[in-house]
Amino acid sequence: MRLVIARCSVDYVGRLTAHLPLATRLLLVKADGSVSVHADDRAYKPLMWMSPPCTLQVQDDVWTLTAKGEQLVISLDEVLSDTSHDLGTDPGLQKDGVEKHLQELLADRCDVLGAGWTLVRREYPTDIGPVDLLCRDATGAHVLVEIKRHAEIDGVEQLSRYLQRVSTVLGDVKGVLAAQTFKPQAKVLAADRGITCVQLDYDALRGLESSTPTLF
Amino acid sequence: MELRVERDALADAVAWGARSLPARPPMQVLLGLLLEASGGTLAVSGFDYEMSSRVELSAHADEDGRVLVPGRLLNDIVRSLPSQPVDVRTESNRLVLSCGTSRFTLPTMQVDDYPALPAMPTVAGALESDVFASAVAQVAVAAGRVDTLPQLTGVRVEIDGDQLTLAATDRYRLAVRTLSWRPEQADLQATALVPAKTLADTAKALTGGPEVTLALTSGSAGEGMIGFEGGGKRTTTRLIDGEFPKYRALLPTEAAAVAEVQTAAFVEAVRRVQLVSLVAARNAPVVRLSFSADGMVLEAGGADDAQASERLECGWEGEGVGGEMSIAFNPSYLLDGLSAVDSDITTLSFTASARPAVLTGKRQPDEDVPAYRYLLMPVRLSG
Repeated sequence: MRLVIARCSVDYVGRLTAHLPLATRLLLVKADGSVSVHADDRAYKPLMWMSPPCTLQVQDDVWTLTAKGEQLVISLDEVLSDTSHDLGTDPGLQKDGVEKHLQELLADRCDVLGAGWTLVRREYPTDIGPVDLLCRDATGAHVLVEIKRHAEIDGVEQLSRYLQRVSTVLGDVKGVLAAQTFKPQAKVLAADRGITCVQLDYDALRGLESSTPTLF
Repeated sequence: MELRVERDALADAVAWGARSLPARPPMQVLLGLLLEASGGTLAVSGFDYEMSSRVELSAHADEDGRVLVPGRLLNDIVRSLPSQPVDVRTESNRLVLSCGTSRFTLPTMQVDDYPALPAMPTVAGALESDVFASAVAQVAVAAGRVDTLPQLTGVRVEIDGDQLTLAATDRYRLAVRTLSWRPEQADLQATALVPAKTLADTAKALTGGPEVTLALTSGSAGEGMIGFEGGGKRTTTRLIDGEFPKYRALLPTEAAAVAEVQTAAFVEAVRRVQLVSLVAARNAPVVRLSFSADGMVLEAGGADDAQASERLECGWEGEGVGGEMSIAFNPSYLLDGLSAVDSDITTLSFTASARPAVLTGKRQPDEDVPAYRYLLMPVRLSG
């Protein structure tokens, strides 16, 4: 990632023609070859940009970016700062972060699932994939817990498969589907398969108290 | 099928059936409305597995029949027809509607695939439709709207002999209404948790007839269901499972201080003052009320923000709290309560400024417990 702060003017020639007059701007040159020109506003949105694949040619103070049928010409007047950093590989946006976090929270607080419950282990491995939690209930019986943000029929099916696999090892195992919200169909199927549904309150588990006091 | 029916009656019936048309249907046939002509009646039904609606109206039928047609389209068409008798007839796999000089042809759907509507549960009792509608409206306002706590999106219906109690809460407020009704059996005891929005819509829509009949599935047999019937219209809806909070313990039995305010003036004052509670940079809007022997002062806004205050006359019995008290509420919850109280005088009962307040109508000397109570949790007074 190369960041250049420079007084520059920019010309775009392509589907339309546009011109940025001389001013101080941020130029981002990314590893994928893309270049974007930013002003000090508009959050993430550049004034002009060229998406990859494109080629950058630097000739003295003029950068010329060329892509299919388009050209971005940046004329540098004065470079105020020019730094490069290697950011490495990005892990990507984690959309299932809440589910993971719920698993961590529940592992610490098995009593939310039932009084006297204890954790055996997180990510209990089976040959068809790991189960979120393996617990013991108050009587010492094993319980498999599958955690979802929003429980749908798929989640019930998944837990049913785990229950079937694990019962060959641990004997009789009960199943609990824990989620913030449940699809009605998921509840019906779970009840049919003898799986208990437990509704989770993420904020309460995190210990976040609502700023507004409640009646109960 | 071949029949003639009045346009207004048909439009009303189709609109009633269309209430149960699903937005995202699990099966295509559920997008249809079922029209059944037999003898001198036309029945219109809609169903989405959660809720069913059915209405019968008298029609001049020359030929009986049963047909399923796209529901939304039929509703739109019938609504826009001129006010003249409508001729409805089937031609092979089409339904033809003629009214005046306009003529519509609709494709019909596979009627054999349409599921049977749930049977009406056992009748539990009846009451006047307008009394029921206003009681439901008073309570439904306090129901939660977030699906994460489904049991709070319902109105709890409790039947204890000839007394009917409706209650709803979203944890910030609780509305309870008791009313008398006519049960089928004098010693009937039952409870149900009914989706609040459906209940409110149904109660309102049934005010066309003089009376509403409630029907409940008894005991724990099968899926819980409640049915309503009135003026030829009937509807069933699935009950919410889950435990409704034990709300009776939340209702204070005694008050340390009581204020009596003119409702209309109070509502206007809150509406005005809350304007600056919304611009104030805080998480939730707040209106502060201060009571003393001089009356009530409403305030909103903060020291660094826009501010507003207004003084109102009010009756005040504040010996229990040392003569003066300040308390703060979310203005929209307060306004909901004031309009639900539905009385020219609102009585506010307090125990302490951090404890819930109870809004009721004008105090009646002959009643121990007011028929309607709106319990409202105050917001913390910061600084």
